[in-house]
Amino acid sequence: MKKIIIGEDIVKSFGEGDEKRNVLDGASVDINEGEFVAIMGPSGSGKSTLMFALSGMDSIDGGRVNFDGSDLSSVGEIELSDLRRTKMGFVFQQPTMLKNLNILDNIILPSIRDNRKNVAKMSEKAKALMKRVGIAELETRDVTQVSGGQLQRAGICRALLNSPKIIFGDEPTGALNSTSAQEIMDIFSEINAGGTAIMLVTHDAKVAARTERVLFMCDGKIVSELKLPKFDGTNIDGRVGQVTEKMWEIGI
Amino acid sequence: MYFRLIRNDMVKSKLITLTTMLFVAAAAMLVSLSAILIVNLSGAIDSLMNQAKTPHFLQMHSGDIDTVRLANFAEKNSNVDEYQVLEFLNVDNSQIILGDRSLANNVQDNGFSIQSEKFDYLLDLDGKIINVSDGELYVPINYMKDTTAKVGDKAVIGGKEFTVAGFLRDSQMNSMLSSSKRFLVSEKDYAEIKGLGTMEYLIEFRLKDLSALGEFETTYASAGLEANGPTITYPLFKTLNALSDGIMIAVILLISVLVVVIAFMCIRFTLLAKIEDDYREIGVMKAIGLRLSDIKKIYLAKYAAIAAGGSILGYALSLMFKNMLLENIRLHMGESENSSFATFLGIIGILLVFFAIVAYVNGVLRRFRKISAAEAIRYGTSQEKNTAAKRFCLNKNKLLNTNIFLGIKDVLARKRLYGTMLAVLVISAFIIIVPQNLYNTISSTSFIKYMGIGNYDIRMDIQQTDQISEKASEILEYMNSDNSISTYTILTTKTFKTKIEDGSEENIKIELGDHSIFPIEYAEGRAPAVEKEIALSALNAEEMSKKVGDTITIIIKGKESKLTVSGIYSDITNGGKTAKAIFTDSSENIMWSVICAKLSDKTLADEKISKYADRFTFAKISNIDEFVKQTFGSTIKSVEKASIAAIAIAIIITVLVTLLFMKMLVAKDRYSIAVMKALGFTNSDMTVQYGSRAVFVSIIGIVLGTLLANTLGEVLAGAVITSFGASSFSFSINPLSAYVLSPLLMICSVLITTIIGTWNVGKIKISDNIKE
Repeated sequence: MKKIIIGEDIVKSFGEGDEKRNVLDGASVDINEGEFVAIMGPSGSGKSTLMFALSGMDSIDGGRVNFDGSDLSSVGEIELSDLRRTKMGFVFQQPTMLKNLNILDNIILPSIRDNRKNVAKMSEKAKALMKRVGIAELETRDVTQVSGGQLQRAGICRALLNSPKIIFGDEPTGALNSTSAQEIMDIFSEINAGGTAIMLVTHDAKVAARTERVLFMCDGKIVSELKLPKFDGTNIDGRVGQVTEKMWEIGI
Repeated sequence: MYFRLIRNDMVKSKLITLTTMLFVAAAAMLVSLSAILIVNLSGAIDSLMNQAKTPHFLQMHSGDIDTVRLANFAEKNSNVDEYQVLEFLNVDNSQIILGDRSLANNVQDNGFSIQSEKFDYLLDLDGKIINVSDGELYVPINYMKDTTAKVGDKAVIGGKEFTVAGFLRDSQMNSMLSSSKRFLVSEKDYAEIKGLGTMEYLIEFRLKDLSALGEFETTYASAGLEANGPTITYPLFKTLNALSDGIMIAVILLISVLVVVIAFMCIRFTLLAKIEDDYREIGVMKAIGLRLSDIKKIYLAKYAAIAAGGSILGYALSLMFKNMLLENIRLHMGESENSSFATFLGIIGILLVFFAIVAYVNGVLRRFRKISAAEAIRYGTSQEKNTAAKRFCLNKNKLLNTNIFLGIKDVLARKRLYGTMLAVLVISAFIIIVPQNLYNTISSTSFIKYMGIGNYDIRMDIQQTDQISEKASEILEYMNSDNSISTYTILTTKTFKTKIEDGSEENIKIELGDHSIFPIEYAEGRAPAVEKEIALSALNAEEMSKKVGDTITIIIKGKESKLTVSGIYSDITNGGKTAKAIFTDSSENIMWSVICAKLSDKTLADEKISKYADRFTFAKISNIDEFVKQTFGSTIKSVEKASIAAIAIAIIITVLVTLLFMKMLVAKDRYSIAVMKALGFTNSDMTVQYGSRAVFVSIIGIVLGTLLANTLGEVLAGAVITSFGASSFSFSINPLSAYVLSPLLMICSVLITTIIGTWNVGKIKISDNIKE
């Protein structure tokens, strides 16, 4: 299967002099097209930093990241922006929406950067997506007028609108109650079934159990991995058990 | 604790603190400077007029004089303290050569006097009464300023040689607005040159009780004494002396008000931005039970510190600059008596600025009361929404580029914040346009209509000479056969008596002749068309409280006749008090005649002037442009300088404020910028967004500023012009510079500054700002 991301020996450090610390210390990770991957690890293990590095949102100090054939360290700021806008989608833990725009505008924002003629088409597509994730009635609302779960769904719509090759999710359910989290995960599964690769950073074994590969991080490295069969809506408890067992095994 | 809070906050926002302090300092400096200048100017005028013992009442007179009758009048009038008649020898300008320069082209009426004995002294530059020796010549101070003469120069007056021994201050005629200038020579020399010119008498009185001046004026006028010439009183001398520096002070005062407003706007902007940032914290502080006044104190303390720093800095600067601005006042009027009082008043001015700022900050902070603790903690932002911005939706936008749309949307959504930037830009546009339009107006040829002058090319003044009417007809005859002159007319000014309401008589100067040949603009009504009509200058009409249609009584040939006021016009010449009529009057008491001529080819003007000047040495012949330039040249030049300075100041303000605002916005919007970048917007996209915010605000600002300049600005400028005697005033605008170049200049500086100010958008890291 074709790899969409190849990350090799990634090093990323923060701080200066004595306080310098490698948050990523030779992490290597590959992600295949259409794959559903979770990254787990204790706080400070470098999960989010890894996601920022793989998506080109942060520069790296060592190693190599190849995204869909382009070496991110040799790509300029503008191309990097283009890549993020056209081939990647992002869903963050806190809803990262612009306060000045209503929900619909926030969703279509990245997709109409290049082409204003798309506005009508994208608005239609966005409305369809909103309907699919159950927030059809919120399009003219302000971001402060809706709940966290609703905002997260809007965030997913935004990530999906450009039909990206991969969606990065950094604790996308971290701020939600369990019902909302379940619903969000259902949406992710559905998206993945459509062929879009998804990489989630999470603490939650229940979230990781929905994916087909779980990578475990510790001290800036991938220390272990767990392969699961594609999730078909059954045996969720058994899958969660497998993930927690692995966590016990490697001590996180 | 406050000290630490202030210090930390200032260190964190150095640029913002510095800029705000700079504006406060500038405002404080200007306020303090104007206080110092006002006190010094009035002090200097007082001491000049005290030292010189300026007459309280002056009647200029040419023609025969009965000094015995005058002395009798003075003796009998109980209010007269001292009385004297001075001689003023009018010499044709071509007869006066200073160094190697002839005054032939000068429009001033230059004349010679000896030092007076009782009062109205001519003073040297130390304020001492000049004691002039034979062969010495003291020259009016304005010839020192325009470098026509310097001490030690040879001067030749009608063939007689003098040495320029020094310069004199003349408490009567110092001002450029007074058309006569007195040179001082010794009695012996005066006797020798007496034959060179015509005599004019200065009949002067000092009164015991200055407050009864009005009464004395009436008494003098109704006594039928010598009155063939202008009458000037003590308050008018004072005004004349104060005018040119007074205008400068008024301009500084006006600018200081604007700078204070700008300082307020900067403070408001930074404060509102800070409140927006700290919204949640303020809510928390309220929630845990801190008093509103305690929360306010935290914010107030910082601005009190900035205001104090700025005020002290501004005061120091004003002390540094004051000498530069006092130079002209010192030169013309000498040292002021109350300069220590001025320094004190400067401090009062500074304190005023300081307290105004503290009060203002306190006012802005009243907003805290409206913050709901629950809402602030829950949402971390104000829930006020405006519908206009809400309707402006990205998904309905088909017209604008997305980045430009986002820029404009941001402005609409945060009106309050951008409102402050807008206010500054409105002020900037106003500062750029008003002086420019004023300069354009007074330097344009159409401005002469405010001077009560028609549209002609050459004027020939015949005055202070005998047989004015014969001399005038001599010129007219010659003109008649000169086919390069397309039209001409003669206007003769005579003094008449007018009866005022209470029955007493006053003098009025009436210009007689055909006023239809070179028509002037009438503020109300029209030119006199029949013998029973008269037009009044704005100042005269105001003083006599006459409107168009009213009648006034004029004594013509000993008989009272009633004339109807047909029109009111602007006139800033001859003290602004003139009248125009067409009745015929054969009496010989002509004050002066002016022959106005229009040439068929204007380029011939200089040639014609020298030809006529050679032929008719008794007349003062001037090019009308030259006439305007010399009468108002210094004013026009100062306004030009001021308008250039205004552009520079406004651009500096625009750049500084835009830089400040953009830096603050970028700092505030780090999170949104990071989100946008995460979503795939580039740094240049962000620059376009910020640029369109700035340009959008500046376009509105320029439009509002221009509208304001053409309404309020016109009224303000008109108020200044009206005080000279013009009645109605409208700007003549150079559309290219006012509507194209100036806005372009502003927008470009805003845009460039925005690009510089948002430079560090590129340094904002997504990963630092989207923390999980």
